[in-house]
Amino acid sequence: MSDEAIDRTKLPIRRPQFQGKVERTLDGSQPDWNSIAPIPAPKGAPNVLLVLTDDAGFGNPSGFGGPISTPTLDRLGKGGLTYNRFHTTALCSPTRAALITGRNHHTVGFGMIGEFAGPFPGYSATLPKDCMPFPKTLQGNGYSTACFGKWHLTPDNVQGPSGPFDRWPNALGFDYFWGFLGGESGQFDPVIIENNTAIGVPEEDDFYFPDAMADKTIEWLHGVRAHGSEKPWFAYFSTGCSHAPHQVGTDWSEKYKDKFDQGWDKLREETVQRQKERGVIPADAELTPRPEAMPAWDSLDANHQRLYARQMEVYAGYCENADWNVGRVIDAIEEMGELENTLVIYIWGDNGASMEGTLTGTFNELTTLNGVPLTDEQQLQLTLKWGGLEAWGTDMMGPHYSAAWAWAGNCPFRWGKQVASHLGGTRDPMVVHWPTRIAEQGGLRPQFTHVIDVGPTILEAVGLPQPTHIDGVEQQPMHGTSFLYSLDDAAAAEQHTQQYFEILGNRAMYKDGWWLSWMMPRIPWELDPETLKRFAPGVWDPETDPVELYYLPDDFTQAKNVADQHPEKVEELKKLFWEEAERYDVFPLLGGLTGFFGMRPPIPKQSQFTYYGDVQNIASGMIPQIYNHSYTISADLEIPEGAEGVIVAEADHLGGFSLFVQDGKLRHTYSFLGVQEFRQESETPLPTGSVNVRMEFAADAPKPATGGEVTLFVDDEPVGSGRIEHTVPARFSGYAGMDIGRDNGLPVDRSYVDKSPFAFTGKVKKVVFDVNPHLTEEHEQELHEHLEQALAGHAINA
Amino acid sequence: MSDDQKDVLIAAYLFEDLAKKDFDAVLKLVKDKAITVEGVVLVQKDEKGEVEVSETGDHLGRKGVKVGAGVGFVVGLFAPPLLAATAVGAALGGVTGKFAKHRLESGIGKKMDAALPPGSGGVIAVYDSGGADTVDKALVNAVKKSVAQIDGISARKLKAGLAEAQAGMGG
Repeated sequence: MSDEAIDRTKLPIRRPQFQGKVERTLDGSQPDWNSIAPIPAPKGAPNVLLVLTDDAGFGNPSGFGGPISTPTLDRLGKGGLTYNRFHTTALCSPTRAALITGRNHHTVGFGMIGEFAGPFPGYSATLPKDCMPFPKTLQGNGYSTACFGKWHLTPDNVQGPSGPFDRWPNALGFDYFWGFLGGESGQFDPVIIENNTAIGVPEEDDFYFPDAMADKTIEWLHGVRAHGSEKPWFAYFSTGCSHAPHQVGTDWSEKYKDKFDQGWDKLREETVQRQKERGVIPADAELTPRPEAMPAWDSLDANHQRLYARQMEVYAGYCENADWNVGRVIDAIEEMGELENTLVIYIWGDNGASMEGTLTGTFNELTTLNGVPLTDEQQLQLTLKWGGLEAWGTDMMGPHYSAAWAWAGNCPFRWGKQVASHLGGTRDPMVVHWPTRIAEQGGLRPQFTHVIDVGPTILEAVGLPQPTHIDGVEQQPMHGTSFLYSLDDAAAAEQHTQQYFEILGNRAMYKDGWWLSWMMPRIPWELDPETLKRFAPGVWDPETDPVELYYLPDDFTQAKNVADQHPEKVEELKKLFWEEAERYDVFPLLGGLTGFFGMRPPIPKQSQFTYYGDVQNIASGMIPQIYNHSYTISADLEIPEGAEGVIVAEADHLGGFSLFVQDGKLRHTYSFLGVQEFRQESETPLPTGSVNVRMEFAADAPKPATGGEVTLFVDDEPVGSGRIEHTVPARFSGYAGMDIGRDNGLPVDRSYVDKSPFAFTGKVKKVVFDVNPHLTEEHEQELHEHLEQALAGHAINA
Repeated sequence: MSDDQKDVLIAAYLFEDLAKKDFDAVLKLVKDKAITVEGVVLVQKDEKGEVEVSETGDHLGRKGVKVGAGVGFVVGLFAPPLLAATAVGAALGGVTGKFAKHRLESGIGKKMDAALPPGSGGVIAVYDSGGADTVDKALVNAVKKSVAQIDGISARKLKAGLAEAQAGMGG
C-alpha cells in the first residue's frame, strides 16, 4: 500500500482493502501480499531519540556554561542546534505529561504529580483517552517504541500486578518499558519494572541504574534492528538523574573534588561569564541577585562549607555519568550507522534544579518529604552517623543537596523547581541534532519553545498527522506548536507566542516577549501548617499576590521588573492568564493541595491486608497504611530447627520496618527515617513447627508521628516488648518496596546486611496487617485528614 | 555524688583536621591553666569501628616523657583494648579488664561508643565537671558532643590501677 493510500488520521489504521482475487480454491485466486504487511512508517521517517533528565538547571551543563562536564550534550549541540529559550512546566509529572501528549499539563490531568490524584479534572493524574500520547501515534504508524527510566505518570494506587494497566507505559504507546513508575529511584537498589511486571531489585553487587538503563536501551536498539531492518524506532530515554537520591560511584564524584570549594555565589559569577562566552545568554544579560532566603557562602562555617561542597561534587558526578550514558546510546546508534537520520532531542531537566533539600541539604530526602524538621546541627550529626562525607553519594544515604546549589544550578535565573512564575523553575537547556535535516552545525535558536511543542515537532518531522481518533476516541488537538520551522532559520519569527504557566499557585503568562510573574508568596520548601494557613480557601486571594513584569528580549534573565512602568501590560497579561487558566483546566488553583484544605477522599474501607506466600516488591505507595496509629502484623509460619530470615520488611535502613528471626529470636526493627532506630526482640527462642507470631504497635494516641509500645507475641503469648519514640508520618521510601519472606534491596536492619536479602529459611504461610484495630470514628477521621495532608506534602516535593 | 566527679566528653567530627584544631585548642586551655584535665586524646574511628589514637595530650610541656596515667585513663574508658598498644604497655591485662568491666556496668561504654560513629574523628577529654563550659566553647568544630560522667571513687580506683600497672612496667 502506498503512503498516500493510508489514512493515518484514525488509529489504529484500518486493514487495507484486499486487492487480490479469491476463488473457491487456489485455482484462479490471486494473492495480495500487502494485506498481511505491517503498517509502514512514512517513507524516510527518521528514528527519534528523546532524552529527558530530571531536576536539572539551565546553568548546570558545560554546554550551557555550567560547571558539570556534559560532553554528549555539548557534542550534539555543536553538531546540531542549541535552544536557549526552551521551557518546562516547573514540576516532574506535569512536564512529562505535557511532553508526551503535546497538551498543557492541566488539560491532561497533571496539574500535580502522579502520586497524588486530586478530585478536579486538572489534577486527576489520569491521562484522558482523548489526549493520547504521541508515541501511540508513532506506534500505530510503523514505529518500534520504547521508554527507559523514569515514567512518573502512573498513580500510586495502581502500581501493582492487579493493574489496571491503562495508565502504564505499554498502554500509552510504548512497545517496551524498562524503568520505574514513580517519581524517583535509588540508583543502586531500584525496583525495576519491565513492561507490566515488577522484576524487582537487581542483586548484582555492582549494579548502577543509570548504567543499566543505557545497556538496556542499546540492547533494545540492537534487537529492533535485528528483527526489522527498515523499521524506524522511537526511544524515550528518561533518566532518574538528577532527582534525589543523589547517588554515584566515587570514580565520578572524585572528578569534582575541590571544584566547588569557592561556593555558590562565586560559582554563579563564573557560570554567567562562561554562558556569555559561549553565547547561550546575551552579553548584556544581568545576573540576578541571591534571594534573602539563601545564605551567603562566606557566612558559613568550615563544617558547612565542606559538607555543602561535597554535596555538589556528588551531584556533579551523578549528572556527568547521566550524560556519559546518553553518549553511550548515541555511540551505539552511530555504530549502527543510523545517527544521520536520527532526530535527537536532548532536554536537560524536566524543571529547574530542585530546592527540595532545604537550605541544609539532607542525608535522607525522605525526612524532608515527611516534613520531619531537622536542624543544621542534626543534619551534620546524621551525616556523621551514616558514614560522613565519604558516604554521601553511596547507598548508605538518600541525599539531596542544599537549595542554594539548586539556585546556583539555575544560573542566571531566580528560584528553581516548583516556581513556575520564574525562569529558574521553567527554563531548561535543549539541543536538537539531526544531520540529515539540519544543515547548520552549532547554531543557536532563541525562539520561545515549550515542552508541549516537542510532540507536534516530532510528528511533523516524521511526516505524520495528529490523529483525529485513537481507539475510537476523538482526540483533542495538541496545544503545542511544532518548532520544525526553526531548524533552517535562526532568525525565524517565533510561532509559539503565548503560554501560561502554573504549578502550586505559582503563575506566569508569557506573550510576545512579555513575561508576567505571579508568584505565590511561599518559599518552595516551606510547607508547615502556619504557612499553608495563608492559602486556605477564603483566605488567599491570588489577585493580591505581588506581580512582576519582564520584557525578555531586553532582559534575558528577569533581572528588571518593569511592572510599575507598564501597568496596562500587567493588566492585559493578568486577564489573559485567567482566560488561559479557564481554558486549560487550571482551576481551581491549588487543586492539587485539597488534602490540606478540607477536601478529602472517602475513608478507605479496607483495614486488613493478607499476603499469602512470598509476595515481593509491593510498591512503596501501596503498602498497608500503618502510619500514625496502632496496627498489628501477624504471621503464620512453619519454623524448622535453626530457622532465620525475614518474615516481612518494608524499605531499608533509611526508613522502614522488618519483622525477622535471628539467632533463634523474633525481632522487630523500626527505622525512623535513619534518624533513630528502635529494636525489640523476644526474650526466649522461638519454638519450631507451626507458629503464629505477632507484632502489635499500640500508639500513644492517633496523631502524626506518634510514639507507642511494641509487644511481640508467639502463639498469643507476649514474649518481648519495647518502645518506638517516633514513627514515620507519611511514607518510608520514595521507591523501596515491601517483601514477604525476605528483605529485597537494602536491609532495614544492617545486622543482616551480609545475608541480604535474608530470605526466611522456614515457610511464611501468610502475613496479615490489621491497620485499623483500635480507632474510634473520630480518630479515624482525624488521621485520614492528616495522612492526606502528609501525602500532599510528599507530592509537592516528589 | 562525689565532689570530684569527672566529665567524659566525646566530641565527634566530620573532618580530621578540624578535630585536630579543636584538640589543640583544648591543649592550649590546659597550658594556659584555664582548665584542669585528667587527659585529652584525639582519636579516629574507621568504617569498621576500629579506633586509633592519633594524638595524646601528654606532650604538654613535657616532651619525651612517658605516656601519663591521665591519657591512659581516657583511653581505657573509651577503648580498653587500646591501653596495651597505646598508653601503658602490653602486659596490662588486669587493668584493661577493670576498665572493660566499668564500661559495661556503668553503661558509659555504650554511651561512648554511640557518641563516635564509624568513620569519624573525635576529641575525648576527661576533666572536672566544673570546667565543662570552658571546654565546650573550645570545641567549635564538633558536630556532636556527648558527655558522660564517672564518679570520683571509680575514677580514683581506675587511675590507681593504671598507676600500679605502669609502676610495675617501669619496674
